[in-house]
Amino acid sequence: MADLLSGQLLIAALVLAGIYGLVALGLNLIYGTMRLLNVAHGEILMLGGYLAYWCFTLTGVGPVWSMFLALVLAGAFGAAVYRTLCRRVLRSARLIEQIEANSLLVLFGVSIILQNAIALSFTATARAYPYLDDIVRIGAFQVTADRLVVLGIGLALCFAAILFFRLSSTGLAIRALIEQPDAAHLVGVDVERMRTIAFALGFAIAGVAGCLISMIEQVSPFMGFPFTIAAFIVIILGGLGNIAGGLAGAAVLAAIEVYGVALTSASMRSILIYGVFIAILVWRPQGLFGRRSVVR
Amino acid sequence: MLKRIFVAAAGAAALVMAGAVQAADPVKIGFSISKTGLFAQAATSQIQTYELWREQVNTEGGLDVAGTRRKIEFTFYDDQSNPGKAVQIYEKLITDDKVDLLLAPWGTSLHLAIAGVIERYKFPVIGNTAASVQLRQLKAGYIWFPTSSFPDKQSVQIAKLLKSRGVATAGLVTNQLPYTQENKKFVLPALKSQGIELVVDEDYPPDVKDMTAVLTKVKNAKPDAVLAYTYPADAVTYMNGAREVGLDQKVQVVLLGPQYDFFGKIFGAARNGIFTMGHWTPLRTDWPTAKAYYDAFKARWKTEPDFLDAPLVYMSVEILQQAVAKAGLDRARLRQTIASETFATINGPARFEGVENVLLPAMISQIQDQQQHIVWPPKERTAEPIAKPAWK
Repeated sequence: MADLLSGQLLIAALVLAGIYGLVALGLNLIYGTMRLLNVAHGEILMLGGYLAYWCFTLTGVGPVWSMFLALVLAGAFGAAVYRTLCRRVLRSARLIEQIEANSLLVLFGVSIILQNAIALSFTATARAYPYLDDIVRIGAFQVTADRLVVLGIGLALCFAAILFFRLSSTGLAIRALIEQPDAAHLVGVDVERMRTIAFALGFAIAGVAGCLISMIEQVSPFMGFPFTIAAFIVIILGGLGNIAGGLAGAAVLAAIEVYGVALTSASMRSILIYGVFIAILVWRPQGLFGRRSVVR
Repeated sequence: MLKRIFVAAAGAAALVMAGAVQAADPVKIGFSISKTGLFAQAATSQIQTYELWREQVNTEGGLDVAGTRRKIEFTFYDDQSNPGKAVQIYEKLITDDKVDLLLAPWGTSLHLAIAGVIERYKFPVIGNTAASVQLRQLKAGYIWFPTSSFPDKQSVQIAKLLKSRGVATAGLVTNQLPYTQENKKFVLPALKSQGIELVVDEDYPPDVKDMTAVLTKVKNAKPDAVLAYTYPADAVTYMNGAREVGLDQKVQVVLLGPQYDFFGKIFGAARNGIFTMGHWTPLRTDWPTAKAYYDAFKARWKTEPDFLDAPLVYMSVEILQQAVAKAGLDRARLRQTIASETFATINGPARFEGVENVLLPAMISQIQDQQQHIVWPPKERTAEPIAKPAWK
């Protein structure tokens, strides 16, 4: 029981929460603003991982720097995907009726194409590189420097995103679009522009997350899917479209994974995660921090 | 008279030309490959090794088919890591594409799946990337396995190695996937028979993202040795966790992971002293072609071959090549030759009894100076085992 209070577990939970929070943030933005189920989210993360790997291997530039390139490239790719594939789905009155199912099919196709394009280009062999992997001792516990960097940048980006959505006019417009799409349109929010920005931001954040994760995991064309699943769990726990709720969902998932295993057994991990997930869906279908919709 | 000479000359020329065309006919070799799906990442070194072998043989003038050199031509399809799909593909390769020879698919489940098809068509296949005791249930005669990493034999050697290192207690963490679970099943009695007490025994799911909690339990139990029965992806999670938690055991076994190129790139010298499964190394000087294969693979693919699957794949094509040189393409003769002859390979001589290679003993390796050495059993070793240095 004394282990539960150890800094070692706390830091492990925080690092995981940072990763999950960052990965889920981009997915939440896209779902929140457009109700598009971006199942290719993990593949954008994978592209960010490859970018970081090749930047480091070919030029020696570390992921802490290449993540800015990932931010720009993934953002541009997101805007292009929205304009070429998703806008049509959103504009068609016939397709909008089943927007979630249609977007799932379109973006599942994107996911498969990206996975196989990367496998064909670089083979499916896992790749990795050493970066900031020294052990850092902080008081009674120790952690590898790369995980500390992931934690720091991950949390900084998550809080920057919260501030962006609370303080900037673009962020407020996107939130308005998430919470009251029709009203946002009526008060003059440029819906098309905001959707493009939200899609680009969602992809950009996933690209950055991929860069950071490449520091602590190997990179492969098929690395993205588990992160897509984790991100969906996080945003459903936190409340679909609720940015701050998503971060809380990430903390819940990480806590279950670290402290749940410490209290029970590692073999219980999946049972605990999905057990809590189902319990929350039954108890609060709108998620821990989602608003209950009122039908008048 | 002149007319008869002309007709005879034309006939002779036609015969020579026909012969030349026949000699130039490529040998069609078919297989299924897991290009997509669950096994795609692991199967990469298999297709790379098949390609390397094809290029090497064709550069030397072609495959020796009972004295005639013929170029190799591959016919292959993606089985999507699906055993059912692999069965359909092998049936198509045999009946529709009418290939001359077959190579193996990737992984135990696909080998088991195609066994029925190749037996039905009496088509011999030398397996490679499979190592489960279930393989012994297959009827001998159409499929064979060069590996010695069968979990039962391997577990006995791991337990003996631990005993020789003075280990009295061990902690075991095991991925819930089939190969690691099968190894766990056999290592438990093996440890017991060596008088080694298991003080921690935890399973974890394949998609684990953090092992801090479970490794803290291992640390608190203070075992003499840690056995991490990992797959490659979670081997990274184990290493990160073990370094952070400070598992300072001098004996640590990481089952799957250290054999792969990416593992060396990510951990460098931090992996020194880690024991792992593996019966091949290019450092064995009495396997003269081992180093040549390693160098050729590295030159062709700009990456190290893994030390498990890639050498097994190369062994399988070496055996097939030697059998075809002797028996040609007649399936009955080929089958007889594979089942009865001894073959020279990059992993030493190979001879089959039943489905197993009886000339290759189970071995345990260790990373030393960032190279994979065989350290157990003693008569097979390329280096003495060492105590794992402190984490860097």
